[in-house]
Amino acid sequence: MEKMTCVERIFRALDRQEPDVVPTMEIFIDPKVRDAILPGASYEDFVDFMDLDAIVITDVANERYEILDRAKNIIRDKWGVIKRSTGELDSFPIEAPIKSERDLGSYVPPDPDLPWRYDELKSAVKRFKNQRAVVAFLVDVFYVVNEIRGMADHFMDVIRNPELIEQLNQIVLDYNLKYIENCIEVGAEIVWIGGDYATNFGPMLSPRLMERFAISPLKAQIEMCKRHGIPVVKHTDGDISSILDMMIGAGLDGIHPIDPVAGMDIGEVKMKYGDRICLVGNIDCAQLLTWGTKEDVRQAVKECVTKAGAGGGLICASSNTIHSGVKPENYVAMINAIRQYGKYP
Amino acid sequence: MKGLGEIRQSILDGDSNRAVELTKSAINLNVPAQDILDQGLFAAMDTVGKLFQKGEYFFPEMLLAGTAMKAALQQLEPIFSKGEASYSGRFTIGTVQGDIHDIGKNIVIMMFEANGWLVTDLGIDVSSERFCQAVRDSSCDVLGMSALVTTTMPKFKETMDALKAAGLRDRVKIMVGGAPVTQAYADQIEADAYAHDAVEAVAKAKSLVNM
Repeated sequence: MEKMTCVERIFRALDRQEPDVVPTMEIFIDPKVRDAILPGASYEDFVDFMDLDAIVITDVANERYEILDRAKNIIRDKWGVIKRSTGELDSFPIEAPIKSERDLGSYVPPDPDLPWRYDELKSAVKRFKNQRAVVAFLVDVFYVVNEIRGMADHFMDVIRNPELIEQLNQIVLDYNLKYIENCIEVGAEIVWIGGDYATNFGPMLSPRLMERFAISPLKAQIEMCKRHGIPVVKHTDGDISSILDMMIGAGLDGIHPIDPVAGMDIGEVKMKYGDRICLVGNIDCAQLLTWGTKEDVRQAVKECVTKAGAGGGLICASSNTIHSGVKPENYVAMINAIRQYGKYP
Repeated sequence: MKGLGEIRQSILDGDSNRAVELTKSAINLNVPAQDILDQGLFAAMDTVGKLFQKGEYFFPEMLLAGTAMKAALQQLEPIFSKGEASYSGRFTIGTVQGDIHDIGKNIVIMMFEANGWLVTDLGIDVSSERFCQAVRDSSCDVLGMSALVTTTMPKFKETMDALKAAGLRDRVKIMVGGAPVTQAYADQIEADAYAHDAVEAVAKAKSLVNM
């Protein structure tokens, strides 16, 4: 098959057609891993060096936090959530801004139209348009509301005070829709929506409540993208087997990562849903990429491609991100293995 | 007894007000406090755990039930004094250093308390020194360590090594858990047990204590 551009490759896979070789992309590659492979390089230079098929611009990685206590790494994010930074992509919430319904009256959501939010995306579009796919990543409504309200209160409120959660959902959805629209206007070609729906035990809420509080706002975001002809990939960790039908039914083009740590098998998902959705995943970054050998990684890629690559519809990626614990040599081995085993006849 | 069945149901429904009201009534009717605890509160949470494992209850139902159980438990606490109630065991838990996720840990705590364990919560971001101090200071049958993030998992081994170096390893049984943790990893660091979820954690802790 004739060699395609990275953009063509990614879009063929998302369209569930065969490209020339299985493409690859990552939500985030930690600077420590990048630096070990290509010292001193920028993210854009690294993407070029590794010849990745897409560059993903992650809103969380480019946020401007308010520093509350530098010594203790305490910050406040754009939603007003107080977090502790640990040096990884995700900072962890320690205090929610909406402690009760009373706080809603004075709550000020962030402004999606601040120009600096789009600086990295604009730079990526300028450099990579028509070469590599430019992907805008943002965090889903369900996950943001979980941080704004506090995890335990959010989960209990979906039953004891659903109207409050509906209001919070709308506030976040309004931001996300405008952010998506702005990203598309700047030149984003794919939207990747993060934020977990499940744990290893299954979905965080019952299917009925997932439909109301997670899938419904997801659909609205997908519809915004579809109006502009933009495909959507959804990330969630965990065992989503009981809600996968519902998620695909919302109109997604891709699903990431088909979490192996949660016991999900990408081959089984391919058999059941491969005609309806592109699979993005699922090389284990919890144990394999972190502590495994290069040979283990190569075998895992070979297995993934064999199980899920037939007929297209696979973008090979890690099961979450290339976080700081991933051995750089294992990430390189993964990319090389994708190129070796992922060729289509 | 009908009243205890109603207490169980109020907890299963996550109805804190009703759980408190029914518990007060049972106390006023001189139902033995231990019966209210065992056949009302703990029995309800045992059912909650089973429903969670079966995929019929999820985090909201579990948290609301736990909240109702704790509210009912507060009505009973004045009645119990030393010697009147015996605990199933003493469980100390913390999230390892650098990890500040606590929802999983808090659900584990809820299930242990619901099964009659005396629980000490060390909180999040617990250093190996603090884990050692906790074992040194208080009688603890099972020490639980949790982590949600792969990058903090090396802290499990660090804590195990610190306990050995301090001569404390044999004083306590160690259980590990959390999303990226596996049985194989638990074996590798020579933990006594690995638990996949809160319900399994309680069952395995019981086995460790009975050994």
